Amino acid sequence: MDIRIKEFKKIVTSPIIIGLLVLFIVYNSIFIFQNSYFREELRVLTRLVDRFGYEIDDEMLEKYRLYYEEQLVSLNKITKEKTSKNYNSMAEFFADYKYGLEDIYDREELGLIMELGIMEAYYNTIEEIDEVYSSLDIMERAESEINKFQLIDKAAETVRNQYKAFSERFQQLVNNKEHKNLFFLGKVYRLHSILFKSLFKIIIFEIIILVVLITAYIVNYEFDNKTEAITYTTKRGRDLILDKLYVSIFSSLVVTTIILLVTLALYFIIFDYSGLWKVPISSYFNTDHNFPYLSWWKMSFVQFLFFTIGLVYSITLLFNGIIFIIARAIKNTYFAFFVFAIIFGLFLILPRLAPNSSNTIFIGAFTPYFLILNPHVWFMEGGAFATFKYHEIVTLVIWALMIWVLSILSIKRFKRQDI
Amino acid sequence: MLIVTNVSKSYGKLSVLENIDIEFSNGVYGLLAPNGAGKTTLIKMLTTLLFPNEGEILYNGTNIFHMGDGYRDILGYLPQEFGYYKNYSARQFLNYLAALKGLERNLAKVRINELLELVGLANVADKKMKKYSGGMVQRVGIAQAMLNDPKILILDEPTAGLDPKERVRFRNLLAELSRDKIVILSTHIVSDIESIANEIIMIKDKKVLYKDSINSICKTLEGMVYETSIDYAQANRFRNHYFSLSEKQEGDKMKIRFISENKLDDSWESVSPNIEDVFLYVYKDEVIKEG
Repeated sequence: MDIRIKEFKKIVTSPIIIGLLVLFIVYNSIFIFQNSYFREELRVLTRLVDRFGYEIDDEMLEKYRLYYEEQLVSLNKITKEKTSKNYNSMAEFFADYKYGLEDIYDREELGLIMELGIMEAYYNTIEEIDEVYSSLDIMERAESEINKFQLIDKAAETVRNQYKAFSERFQQLVNNKEHKNLFFLGKVYRLHSILFKSLFKIIIFEIIILVVLITAYIVNYEFDNKTEAITYTTKRGRDLILDKLYVSIFSSLVVTTIILLVTLALYFIIFDYSGLWKVPISSYFNTDHNFPYLSWWKMSFVQFLFFTIGLVYSITLLFNGIIFIIARAIKNTYFAFFVFAIIFGLFLILPRLAPNSSNTIFIGAFTPYFLILNPHVWFMEGGAFATFKYHEIVTLVIWALMIWVLSILSIKRFKRQDI
Repeated sequence: MLIVTNVSKSYGKLSVLENIDIEFSNGVYGLLAPNGAGKTTLIKMLTTLLFPNEGEILYNGTNIFHMGDGYRDILGYLPQEFGYYKNYSARQFLNYLAALKGLERNLAKVRINELLELVGLANVADKKMKKYSGGMVQRVGIAQAMLNDPKILILDEPTAGLDPKERVRFRNLLAELSRDKIVILSTHIVSDIESIANEIIMIKDKKVLYKDSINSICKTLEGMVYETSIDYAQANRFRNHYFSLSEKQEGDKMKIRFISENKLDDSWESVSPNIEDVFLYVYKDEVIKEG
């Protein structure tokens, strides 16, 4: 225990590691603040969900409509008084005022205008759901993905098969009415992209950089400082490498926790999700591009968030293992970092060289390197290469086994190797 | 007893040591050879850093590589290139190594204080080592090797960086320690060991050339070492005929110490060979190459 504490101290006293950790947290905070200009608008939905709940059904819709009309009447009283005009909808209202609202209405009235505008946007979106979902064709999506990557023969067939399996899930999703739940309007705010595509990707890359540095640093500390002859001839000897592995795992989990905790805490303080945690992630409102996010399993936003966090931790451990093996073989921290970067690049480039007619083209998708590029579609329909029901789990299990075996071999080799 | 039996070591196709047989019992052993002769390779095998290609190394009858931590527990080692952590103080550094050596925390504290006192670093023990002179760092190295009160103490070029006063102090310390230990001291500086080593081991052409007491080794040159004074003008011609061991100025003449199988001139004075003479003579090819 004493040895591991002392090894851990080497990490926490490293100015590079601590400096980078602070820098990353500052960067994430700036990223969140830069995207927070619409946070006030998000509160409109929070209030609506407070009043009507998030599940959309006929009863809820009727209440919603009545409330909206009530509010519109209130607005019309004001507009009548100030401009002698009446409006049937907010769209009509805004068509009249491209600029200059502030000159006519006071702060409180502007608040009502904003709220009503947003209410109407949600209402209109509710109205279009059935039409959108009745025209959604999963197999058409499959063909578009196949065309996008010019897949043929077996590769194309695999994509079709996966999407066929996904079609069943899609039917289930529609039957469950997972799509009919209020959530922040994705096409306007793109919060799913901000959180899971941008922020989580940033977080993952930051974690990987730190994990690579920590692991290479601690594994090669003796070789970098030329103390290997002393340390590996002590009673603990080459078993020290095991302590280093455990400490690197522990430290990697610590930095992962710090980055996730601070960043996500700040994110959820800035963006108030209260009342929306249990909304299914496949809600139509979550759509922030042309195609909705459709998860393989029924899961709420908070479940998706926790699964994503869990996967980030798992990926952290995978990269911890990968860099341990590299750093053990290359006894120099910076060179190990460089080799890791090359391997990273190769894993992203090489799969693209596989023939587009063969299933080998999918091997490249089952790597942690591929996985970290698309955290926003984990556990979801994710295009030609990621729409496999157990894509994340299979990748994790295969790589965990490979890394486990290679780590054992690496440690065994180290114990029989000239130093 | 530590026994090296028929040990060979090569790096790829480059053979460094061949069929080495040495026995060590308590006492100081001076491993004497020029740089590159395989001293460090032998030491690294004795400290389990390198694995022999052939042969085995036994401690009290058991292969040291099979003994594992049982062997390393009785081993103290100061490598030739002694690395340390610049931002650690001597006390922190020794504490870290004490943990690796499995010393209980309180015992380590006492032991570290004793050793810091012994190597004369008690008053700077909490200063960062990056502020230390080369000699001070080397003394930390000596202290760490003795942390676990080892039965086998292996020191590779331990006096590098020490000033003459520190060297004397270190030699006395070793003489004191060696009563109940195997002390193996590798050096190419003859004066480091000639006064304290019970036996000298010389390696040449990948093999053990001598393993004997200083007296016995010196006897190999008995009657072959002479001193004489010559004119400077004759120096080059003299060196071409005889192997010069040392030369010094004496008035307008040069006093030369050299090797000759026979006494060819009455002015030559026969002197007792010392270990340095043997070293220079045995490694004359290497010395010339190095020079």
